[in-house]
Amino acid sequence: MIELLWSIFDVSLVLLVLALAWASCSTQDMMRAVTLFIALGLILAIIWARLKAPDLALAEAVIGAGISGALLLSAIKDYPSTTTVLSRQSSLVEWVINGMTLGLVIIMTWAVWHGLNMSDGLRLSEQVMSQVPVSGVSNPVTAVLLNFRAYDTLLELAVVLTAVLTVLNLNHKRADVAAASPLLRGMTRWLVPLLVVTAGYLLWVGAHAPGGAFQAGAMLASAMILLQLSNPSSLQGFNLTVLRILLVIGIFIFVLVGIWMMSVNDDFLAFNPAWAGSLILIIEFAATLSIATALTLAYLGGRPTGWEFTNPVHSTKQHNGEPS
Amino acid sequence: MSNAIIWVIIIPLLGSLLSIIWSRFASFIAISSNLLALAASISIVAQVHQSGPLIHQLGSWQAGLGITLRADALSSILLLMSMLVISAATFYATTYFSDPLKRARFWPLWLMLVVALNALLMSGDLFNLYVTLELLGLSAVALTALSDNRAALQAAIRYLSIGLLGSLVFLVGVALIYTGHGTLDLVALSTIVQADPLSQVAFGLMTAGLLIKSALFPLHFWLPSAHASAPAPVSAALSALVVKVAVYILIRLWIDIFDLTLTPLSGMLLGSLGAIAVIWGSWQALQAERLKLMAAYSTVAQIGYLFIFLPIIIALPKGPTQDAAFTALLLMAITHGFAKSAFFLSAGVIQQYCGHDRIAELGGTARALPLTIFVIALSGVALIGLPPSGSFIGKWQLISSSLQTGQGWWIPVIAIGSVLATAYVFRILGHAFGPGESVGRVLNWGHQEIPALMLAIFATLILGLGSAWLWDFVSQHSAFLGS
Amino acid sequence: MISQQLLYALAGIGLFGIGLRATLLHQMLLERLLALNVCGAGVFLIFIAVAYGGIETAVDPVPHALVLTGIVVAVSATAMALALGRRLQELDDE
Repeated sequence: MIELLWSIFDVSLVLLVLALAWASCSTQDMMRAVTLFIALGLILAIIWARLKAPDLALAEAVIGAGISGALLLSAIKDYPSTTTVLSRQSSLVEWVINGMTLGLVIIMTWAVWHGLNMSDGLRLSEQVMSQVPVSGVSNPVTAVLLNFRAYDTLLELAVVLTAVLTVLNLNHKRADVAAASPLLRGMTRWLVPLLVVTAGYLLWVGAHAPGGAFQAGAMLASAMILLQLSNPSSLQGFNLTVLRILLVIGIFIFVLVGIWMMSVNDDFLAFNPAWAGSLILIIEFAATLSIATALTLAYLGGRPTGWEFTNPVHSTKQHNGEPS
Repeated sequence: MSNAIIWVIIIPLLGSLLSIIWSRFASFIAISSNLLALAASISIVAQVHQSGPLIHQLGSWQAGLGITLRADALSSILLLMSMLVISAATFYATTYFSDPLKRARFWPLWLMLVVALNALLMSGDLFNLYVTLELLGLSAVALTALSDNRAALQAAIRYLSIGLLGSLVFLVGVALIYTGHGTLDLVALSTIVQADPLSQVAFGLMTAGLLIKSALFPLHFWLPSAHASAPAPVSAALSALVVKVAVYILIRLWIDIFDLTLTPLSGMLLGSLGAIAVIWGSWQALQAERLKLMAAYSTVAQIGYLFIFLPIIIALPKGPTQDAAFTALLLMAITHGFAKSAFFLSAGVIQQYCGHDRIAELGGTARALPLTIFVIALSGVALIGLPPSGSFIGKWQLISSSLQTGQGWWIPVIAIGSVLATAYVFRILGHAFGPGESVGRVLNWGHQEIPALMLAIFATLILGLGSAWLWDFVSQHSAFLGS
Repeated sequence: MISQQLLYALAGIGLFGIGLRATLLHQMLLERLLALNVCGAGVFLIFIAVAYGGIETAVDPVPHALVLTGIVVAVSATAMALALGRRLQELDDE
């Protein structure tokens, strides 16, 4: 009986997620598309929880649905509300694309079906689980993310930084919207501190329960975004040098710890089991700050006034002007 | 000592962070970071030459559990080329941007590009390759968008969308591999992967993703506009390095991991697409109106040559003959890297002095910018494949290997490609030496032309005359991960 | 009944297909971006479905870490693409 209920639950989730994806990709109205996409993110979070991936469920909810959703919503007004589908030009092309995609789906299904029957699958996970006790944390996902495969996480922080640098390079901060209603402002007064505390909690608890730097950073960013939405002038006047330092501190601490460990243990990011827990916490703390700053700036849309220094070193040669 | 592998990645990363904080000294930080990283890459090549592949187990975890960084003959040579090109382009970039704000925005992203390139070349883990590919793609797009005009932004958006699609297709392949084999370590995979359905599909998907990234015909359509509208030092890096490393990953996967999975047919398919790329790319280059657009199409053609090598290398048995063909591939890739970057840097100089890069209006440039035109001629020699350039030796070996394997039909393609290349190089030189008053004043030995000169000399003379060393290096420390 | 692993992996493949089709068909940046995000979600679902072993057995944590990385990369790319689109719009309006 329980089995049957679970199966119904699973099949419903799968149908729901596929329907939401199809609807989001086919609708003509951008507002509806983005809303469906956010709903898709939340259903995905439920699926992650169902598949015993609570860290991912948290991350999907706050980053995948939350931050992505906020970014997309604020971008809608930049676009016309009707879509452009290639099929308006040629339905032959549309049939070809449909056919190709369908073929690819069938091939991939065949491959996965074969793959699931191949039994070498679980060797790595056994290796991982056996080493978790010496990794300094007891949450296996955090162990993989910040110890075994910490280098990937380092590069991932670099990806975030690159994206935020681009946003800062291209645009100015979005013009402030009108101040929000008193209701929102009142709510924000207790919601923002709550979010900040939750972020701190997620950071701390990530060592032995679902959570971690990324979820905490995104939650902190959500708090800042909420602050910005309800009271637009609250984030002005923030010291810009501090802002720059906050952006880079995650990677910086990560690299410094790595180099320090390299001098002690001969390999980059090789943590002593005794120190591993504390080192990971330090790295995660710095990373949380950087991620929060980056995501907030990405949402705000660009560089605040005064971001760039006005007296950098001038070149000595005069040219005919910037080539295009 | 195997820490040099780490330094070559970490130094540019720290440089990037510092150049965000202290943008006044960003140029100095960038130059010193690149020179230090160059020193590290020379050290890596020396160590590989002396004692074989270098390994760095990150976190001291065993391979499979942690990520391995690995430098062997193939990746260390490409790393050295990459750092040489980057260093030259860095010197050029210090004088390219007249707007100090733009320069301040450029350096952190440029150093991040260096991090991505080096991390990719040194990577020994499949998912890590995906992350480095993403970092590479995003920083390349960010740098392209720095030109801040409509054409550049449109090209950047297209580059980003296509790039993301390519990465995702690649990632699906990685997911399938993990599903079936349970590990992400390249060395482990090179022994495990057989010709089962899952590996075949994963192989196809990863190849498709990488073909998008390496701009093989017909997936090349994003390249010309992106490379042509980016700032000149960025275009040099894009054409010489960014597309190259995607080809590197493809070769690594084909020859090391999927050697039992692939079929001669797949090699033929890519070779044929490469042949079409050579002819189509060269033809478009001949018709191009702007220098940078011509250079971009020429890149499409040159990448085609690299893919023609594939069916030949697959058909040859493991041993000296295969090594010879493989070294020729490496030689052509490196020569193109130096030659194309020299070309783009020269195009940048011309654009700065003439205010445009339209080929038809280049009259009088030879008188006004003699060194730059000389550099273009030198890199043209390498692009055509005339002796003593490295690409002459590469093409010669390609012809010889294709005869050896009985695949003589590639030879007319190579011939046509070379003829077309001759045509488009001489088209530029013809206009440049023609009459005209396109420049205001004459520039003799301007210091911004030196980097391009150095690169072109490398391509045409040093690689050609010194290629025996390369042959030696590769055959001594076989580039392959092991059967 | 097919196993949950296969069911969710098929869902992932389906999402990937839907997203791929939409990426190739649509021209507008925002539509493409949504479609690419759906593609990404599909790939992540394949990873996690395979990592799941059943209610009783422990999960394989490596794909979880990989997908977490993937989610962060996806949101970074989305932010970047939107910034590019906004700048292009600004230039067009001038």
